[in-house]
Amino acid sequence: MSLTKVSLIDIVKKQYVYKLKAYSQVFISLIFIQLLAVFFSLNGVGGGGISSGSIQINVSYFSADFVVAFTMLWGFITAIVITTKTYRIDDFIFVTNRASSNLSNMVFLLIASVIGGITAMLSTNLIKVIVYYFKSDFALKSTTVMDMPMEFLIGIFSTILYVFLFCALGYLVGTLVQISKVFAVLLPAAFLGGLIFDGLSGKTGVIAKVLGFYFTESSLALFIVKIIMTAGLLFIGAFALSNRREVRT
Amino acid sequence: MIINLDGTKPIYVQISEWLENEILNGNVESDQKIYSQYQLAEIYNINPATAAKGLNILVDEQILYKKRGLGMFVTSNAKEMILTKRKNQTLKRLVQEIVIEAARLQVSKEELIEMINAADIGEVEK
Amino acid sequence: MSVIECQGLTKAYGGVKALNNFSCNIEENKITGLIGRNGAGKTTLLKIIAGFMKETSGDLKVFSESPFNNLTVSANVVFIHDQMDLPTALNLKELLEVAASFYQNWDRELANRLFDYFSLSPLQHYEGLSKGMKSTFNMILGLAARVPLTLFDEPTSGMDAAVRQDFYRALLKDYLAHPRTIIISSHHLNEIEDLLEDILLMKDGKELLHMPIADLKEWAIGLQGKTAIVDEWTQNKELIFTKNIGPDQSYVVVRNNFSETEWQSARIAGIDLTPVSSSDLCVYLTSKTKGGIDDVFNKG
Repeated sequence: MSLTKVSLIDIVKKQYVYKLKAYSQVFISLIFIQLLAVFFSLNGVGGGGISSGSIQINVSYFSADFVVAFTMLWGFITAIVITTKTYRIDDFIFVTNRASSNLSNMVFLLIASVIGGITAMLSTNLIKVIVYYFKSDFALKSTTVMDMPMEFLIGIFSTILYVFLFCALGYLVGTLVQISKVFAVLLPAAFLGGLIFDGLSGKTGVIAKVLGFYFTESSLALFIVKIIMTAGLLFIGAFALSNRREVRT
Repeated sequence: MIINLDGTKPIYVQISEWLENEILNGNVESDQKIYSQYQLAEIYNINPATAAKGLNILVDEQILYKKRGLGMFVTSNAKEMILTKRKNQTLKRLVQEIVIEAARLQVSKEELIEMINAADIGEVEK
Repeated sequence: MSVIECQGLTKAYGGVKALNNFSCNIEENKITGLIGRNGAGKTTLLKIIAGFMKETSGDLKVFSESPFNNLTVSANVVFIHDQMDLPTALNLKELLEVAASFYQNWDRELANRLFDYFSLSPLQHYEGLSKGMKSTFNMILGLAARVPLTLFDEPTSGMDAAVRQDFYRALLKDYLAHPRTIIISSHHLNEIEDLLEDILLMKDGKELLHMPIADLKEWAIGLQGKTAIVDEWTQNKELIFTKNIGPDQSYVVVRNNFSETEWQSARIAGIDLTPVSSSDLCVYLTSKTKGGIDDVFNKG
């Protein structure tokens, strides 16, 4: 029987299609998380009130911020989940090597980020509808897509990038944890420790600086470069770490 | 003959004996094509290499001959060869065993010959 | 042509060597039986051949390439074992579709026919199947993938006798139609030996025997008779197994290098010479002691 020759790209494509089907639970969890976030958003993300005589005005801001944050968290967790043994073994039932397995995971996470990002931004509309119907004493002043189409598109685009960044971070974290369970304790401890230390010292600490670096960038081009470079580095790190890993069942 | 696959006799020996029986019974005539190793493998659920080994015994004994690209065929005097072989080998060995067993049981030569004479030959000639 | 070549292969888990300086060559288009006790290193060997794990030291080539992390090897090898874990989100029919997309020579018709024959239902999920049904489904994957190197590790575990027979027949028929290299490990040597061309016997991570299965039956011989006479006949032979039967009878298995005349005179001396079945011989060869379990009870 003659040997079949396969190309990496071809196998990555096939694995990606396979993963979309096999990992469908991931998208069910996305729906749950976003609905939960919508529920939390219904009280408004901020607001204030003034009263003058018998007139009282309450202002509440509704936005998809919660949903976006939750979606980022979802991306982070999803990425960790697909690095676990159960999911890694799924790859090796059929044709694969570590490169194709990692690349198809990356493509999968990218597509998951796109879906997560778009649905997160569209959930604004869901929030508006719910508020409109269930909080009828409100006068709704809303910005629609058509008012500012560019801003809306940029919003979607940057949400996708943020979710993808968190996916990349989760993927590296997951890979580290797979290599040694020590990281499962070490990484959260370092993160929380950093937060507490920052809080105690009262200065802008490392974590705050890192967050500022990504979340307060005003130039769109620079923002894209920052995110893509970072996500790329995180993935390269994960690829390098997992390339010699054995598959043990 | 049904091949006893659980037996301790090697399967390829059993295959070659079965093929000899097919020839003796006239199921495969002289210069006719005999079963291929793949047919034998399929019939007896055995590895084709084992079947080939059974066929090759008969090729070595010139009971079968190869035609390149066509398969294996029965030699014209295959029947006689098989009969002679069985007389010389199988029967001789059986006789040897009878003699050993007879010695063990302290049966004399004369007694043994008498027993052979008494054995019903009619059954065999049928 | 050799499909698998390994030289001095060693695999250590911690301090334990699952493979210890293992060497062998597996030739193309042969069915080889991989036989050994539990813990002999069979599964480890297959996992390294399939490219799942990396050897600690030694040299291994599959299709002349190192199999670890190798896409070509992965595309041309299918590894079926009894610990398979298939994605839970897909039903059986979807799993077959996925498999079909990965293997270029996938035989869709064979897969569907076997699927129906074994009464698997398309909407079932793999984790809901019984042990035997899982093995049956795995077997369909292994056969229909039709790759140049097919590895079956305990493929029949949990199957009932009838399904095992069907599997062996299906394997043979598909092999006859599409010859390829197959390695099959099993505890049931007596069930699979007719299918095999070669046998590879492993013990303690090493290769013990690698020969055509047809030769194995003549490789050793059993002698039974009065202990004194048997001892006399076997004193210069390589002992494989000994067992006392009653006070002065014994049964001894030795390497068979008796000539025709020796054979005859042994018989005349009152020794029963009997062939040893392949599976018995493998049990004797892989045993830790020459007397088997009896040694535990013979305190003297």
